[in-house]
Amino acid sequence: MSAMQPFDASSPQISIPRAATGREPARETRAAREPRRRKSAAENSEIIERLQNGDQEALEAVFKLYSGKLYSVAQRILGEAADTEEVIQDVFWTVYRKAKSFKGDSQFSTWLYRLTVNAALGRVRRSKKKKEVDYEEFLPKFQKDGHHLVRPVVDWSDTLDEKYAQRQLQTLIGKALDQLKPIDKSVIVLSDLEGLSDREIAAALSLTISAVKTRLHRARLFLRGFLAVQLGHSAA
Amino acid sequence: MATPKHVLKSNLNDSCKRMTDLIFRYLTDRLTPTLKREFEQHLRLCPDCMNFLNTYKKTVSLAGSLSANEIPHDVRTNVLAFLRRKMPGIAVFFSL
Repeated sequence: MSAMQPFDASSPQISIPRAATGREPARETRAAREPRRRKSAAENSEIIERLQNGDQEALEAVFKLYSGKLYSVAQRILGEAADTEEVIQDVFWTVYRKAKSFKGDSQFSTWLYRLTVNAALGRVRRSKKKKEVDYEEFLPKFQKDGHHLVRPVVDWSDTLDEKYAQRQLQTLIGKALDQLKPIDKSVIVLSDLEGLSDREIAAALSLTISAVKTRLHRARLFLRGFLAVQLGHSAA
Repeated sequence: MATPKHVLKSNLNDSCKRMTDLIFRYLTDRLTPTLKREFEQHLRLCPDCMNFLNTYKKTVSLAGSLSANEIPHDVRTNVLAFLRRKMPGIAVFFSL
């Protein structure tokens, strides 16, 4: 599925401490996922056809397969449970009514993500605007010669799991995520939470692939800086 | 703070700023072999960039830990009730 492979501990990249190796354990290779992907695509194809013919039980199948994921995506973007419920019901009602408009240009799941993100972002736009955080405050800064402005850069990655419970860490990163602009939050959610490729994210959000990469990197830099500050270090 | 000698000794003209810009491509294995080699050499010589990379990766890892795949029971019930209202006449539907 993913053209953009998440990094993992077994990647050929330079050896670094295990505690700081990102997602662990290592993910399956694309080749290992392929048979399951094909089976899933075939099943999806049948469900889509039934859905396009007005088969309401096909909607049940789609609901079973995707409601958890789509709820998670909407909830992360919105952050409010009540709105999330409305978004999800609108999404599934739209899926049923507009199934025929799905032409197969993207994966079915990408179409579902697109409907969900659009519905969630629409709600965000209509809701009271909250004051946006200035990204610059949390982005890395450099001297004129290009080296880090604040030294030493502290590696807080390997002590986090000792100092904080998993739930505390999730609250912390959730808080950081909520500071992002909605579109950037959507990019992070689809990439780092849902594992979509940058191509799929571009399709879901109507962005260019290049824009997805730029937004993803900048949003990650912001999250990193925000976390650093929360932990008592410099964002730079 | 002055630039450490070990950084100046690197055969790179690349600065930490440039390294930071390359992190995204490095982690997705999209650097050319030459750039990748230079990136990793810089990392070996520059603890600041190594630490920055580690915290960047940890941030992505933490974000990934928020991934969920469940819809709360009450939300599911309400959504299904909504869909049933929209699609009446179905005897057995959404018997989840």
